[in-house]
Amino acid sequence: MYALILNIPGPNDAVDTVIESLVKSVIALLLLLASFGYLTLAERKILGRMQSRYGPNRVGIFGVMQPLADGLKLLLKEQITPREVRTGVYLLAPAISIFVAIMAFAIVPIGPPLPWLGKVRVLAVANVNIGILYLLAILSLGVYGIVLGSWSSSNRYSLLGGLRSSAQMISYELSLGLSIVAVVLLAGTLSPMGIVAAQNHAGLSWFILLQPLGFMLFVVGGFAETNRAPFDLAEAEQELVGGYHTEYAGMRFALYYMSEYINMVTVSALVTTLFLGGWVGVGNGILFTLTTSAPWFQLIGVFWFFFKTLAFLFFYFWIRATLPRIRYDQLMWFGWKIMLPLSVVNMLATAFYVSLS
Amino acid sequence: MVKDYVPLLILAVVAAGFALTNIGITLVVGPWRPTREKMDPYESGMTEIQPPRQRFPIKFYVIAMLFLLFDIEAISFFPWAVLLRPLHFSGFIEMFIFVVALLIGYLYIWKKGALDWE
Amino acid sequence: MIPLIVTTIPIHVTAADYGAVLPELVVAAGVLLMLILDVFVPRAQRLQVTTATSLLVILLSFAATLHLWTAGSASAFYGTMTSDRFAVFFDAIILLAAALAVLLSPSYIAVSEFDPGEFYALLLASAVGMMLMAGGTSFMLLFLALELLSLSLYILSGFERSRPRSQEAGFKYFLLSSFASSFLLYGMALVYGATGSTQLRVINFCLHGLGCASTVASSPLLFVGIGLMVVGFAFKVSIVPFHMWTPDVYEGAPTPVTAFMSVTTKAAVFAAFVRVFNFSLSGVESHWYGLIWALAIATMIVGNVLALTQTNMKRLLAYSGIAHAGYILVAMAANTPAGITAIAFYFLVYTFMNIGAFIIVSVLESQGETGDEISTYRGLWQRNPELAGATAVFMFSLAGFPPTAGFFAKYLAFSAAVQAGHTELAIVGVLTSLISIFYYLRVVVVMFMQPEGAEKQGGLIPAAAQWAIGATLAGTIGLGIIPTGFFNYATQSVDAMRAVFGLP
Repeated sequence: MYALILNIPGPNDAVDTVIESLVKSVIALLLLLASFGYLTLAERKILGRMQSRYGPNRVGIFGVMQPLADGLKLLLKEQITPREVRTGVYLLAPAISIFVAIMAFAIVPIGPPLPWLGKVRVLAVANVNIGILYLLAILSLGVYGIVLGSWSSSNRYSLLGGLRSSAQMISYELSLGLSIVAVVLLAGTLSPMGIVAAQNHAGLSWFILLQPLGFMLFVVGGFAETNRAPFDLAEAEQELVGGYHTEYAGMRFALYYMSEYINMVTVSALVTTLFLGGWVGVGNGILFTLTTSAPWFQLIGVFWFFFKTLAFLFFYFWIRATLPRIRYDQLMWFGWKIMLPLSVVNMLATAFYVSLS
Repeated sequence: MVKDYVPLLILAVVAAGFALTNIGITLVVGPWRPTREKMDPYESGMTEIQPPRQRFPIKFYVIAMLFLLFDIEAISFFPWAVLLRPLHFSGFIEMFIFVVALLIGYLYIWKKGALDWE
Repeated sequence: MIPLIVTTIPIHVTAADYGAVLPELVVAAGVLLMLILDVFVPRAQRLQVTTATSLLVILLSFAATLHLWTAGSASAFYGTMTSDRFAVFFDAIILLAAALAVLLSPSYIAVSEFDPGEFYALLLASAVGMMLMAGGTSFMLLFLALELLSLSLYILSGFERSRPRSQEAGFKYFLLSSFASSFLLYGMALVYGATGSTQLRVINFCLHGLGCASTVASSPLLFVGIGLMVVGFAFKVSIVPFHMWTPDVYEGAPTPVTAFMSVTTKAAVFAAFVRVFNFSLSGVESHWYGLIWALAIATMIVGNVLALTQTNMKRLLAYSGIAHAGYILVAMAANTPAGITAIAFYFLVYTFMNIGAFIIVSVLESQGETGDEISTYRGLWQRNPELAGATAVFMFSLAGFPPTAGFFAKYLAFSAAVQAGHTELAIVGVLTSLISIFYYLRVVVVMFMQPEGAEKQGGLIPAAAQWAIGATLAGTIGLGIIPTGFFNYATQSVDAMRAVFGLP
């Protein structure tokens, strides 16, 4: 449509690329923000039900307006900046956090490539052939937002929370990375599109079936990476008040909160892409073959992607309602002495299998 | 191909714009009524006795160092993982030797107690 | 839909490649073994087990070098590494020094309560770095090897954590040496920029006009790069004016470490120095000859003059080491096969006599608190005649008296310079050697002619140290009386390297 308006000559034009990515970026941003808002509501509702209570139900029917009300409240609250903070870093830290969270989602393909306006368009913000490497780089940057925020707050709870949180994140990042190596070994590519394609064979070829251990390692690592229960030690209220964001109020706090939920979405989307076959539906290749179907029918892939991602997000909340928070020494012990050796063994076993095939 | 990375650049601009706008809004929107107590660092209602930026346990440094070590090794696995199929079994053997060397170091730090967190 | 990455792999590493680095591989495996032994062997037996294992590893590696000596030159890993006889000759020297250091260590470790596994692992790791340095034929490998040996030695220098001097040594060495490494790396980068290759052979061809424009030889990049590389190398082998760290580090570091590094870093770095300058950059000799010439003269004069005033044995040996680096530079400046042969032979001799001197220091050190002061040597003749006799031999050899090996080594170096037409270097060398006689003989005089102040009892000398003294003594005297066999080996090693570089 915009091609007509702007009178663009050909589909390979640079302007086309720029406009396409601009549109995709804005859509991705809005998607992530909307999912943040409604995930908070969903979490409260689900947790409430699991704990035999209602959850928010006053603002709108079933509380559907609750996220908007929360957002407005956070926006209009007094933004307290304590006296001793390092103002520049203090203000920048939440921005870094949310920036990194949004950037990480860029390489996740949410559906099969679709022909549209004279060109096959990839349903991911970016389709780079080293997507997984990019992802790991961006995930590592996530620590910065937390460390800088906690350090610049000049508050002992923040500092301790930030230290704990960063030590936890880097510890689990190792096994997270190594479990991805196993997937890369099987797929033979670092491109997320390629990894989904590698799972797009007839029959059962999702990597969760070939990599059950790798899947578990990735899930645990993903939980730790997002600082979610049972690994939410960074914000253990009993000992650390709010953790690294103790001194943040209003919208600045909201940015941290937002990045946590966006990271959850990203991890869920990654679980879907790396292990659950991405946009490939159940029974693909048996009942029908997506890639040879009509374009409109391929949109069902988008549905599958969201279905799997949301199911995994539900799993996130379910775990939070089920498992108690683990102790810090247990956390480090588990990460370094269980997860790391297991992920190395898993990688080697996979490599052995792949090198013989 | 550089062209593939243009979308990332554009998303970076959009994301940075979003983040900085939000931070900017916090500077202008909302009431601003500072009092002395309100501007104190949060200390569970107590008066702050010592400044919080003090030395913290060396364990964190050790963990950071070990992370650097192992993460760099982990990154070196990626190109190998992509190319293992054409490298065949000899590729596996080579990396196996590397991993064994790495695991000996791992065993060493474990036995030395670098991974214990009392 | 999405094409999987299809790649042909051009890299084929064969068993022959590994064969060419067999000595290094054995020692590297030894490093890992040490780490395991350190945590799994009970504390009571740890020292004996790790010492024995390190000796065994060194012995195995030595056997591998003997094998490589007969196997002939091979270029491995796409020209980054060579196993020519020059490399093997230096490998053997490094292993010899490592074995002597290991023999020296147990008594020291027992007193200082080091972790023996860690100590030996670092010692062997630095030996791996040195051996790779001696055989490296690519800037990349040379730099990595240099870093491996330096990093291990930084830690070893500061290993005695409870002693401030040792801490100072480690820290000073680390700061200054890493600075020098960056000089070297920068120089390598510029030479790479000028010639388009990091491979020494290719650079050599390039500077002889093969595959490169003739303007390369006069490019300012090359000129600056060579200068920076000289600075980097000169620092590592403590050549004046980059020698400041040497006395402090030698004094502060644990004595076995000092004994080891005083010989082996010089040997390994000089091997690379020679390989890079006398062979790879032989096409542009005019660029670097003047620099080496000036450094040689400055080093000989400053090293010997400053040694005169020392009262501490380790510092004295440090300045003596600087002076010896100067003599070796004389041979290097000669830039003839005879000169390179002299360097190779010099290091073999230097290993015996210098480590021998350090063993004596170490033995005396274990008998008293001020063991490294020259005053400790007072009346050693009365207390312990054997030890005093051995010390005298090492001092005579370091000073260059016939019939010890030191004389022959120095003679070769200076005669190479004279043959190459650099008589002035030889004259300075001989004159400064005369100065050096004063401070070497002072030690001997103190031992034989001055009665000891207080009544002291000579302690027991550990058996391992006795063996080590015996070995170094045999080497120092044996190489002086019948040098021919080993001199032939040195000649063969240089011939092998010349063949590798394709020079006439």
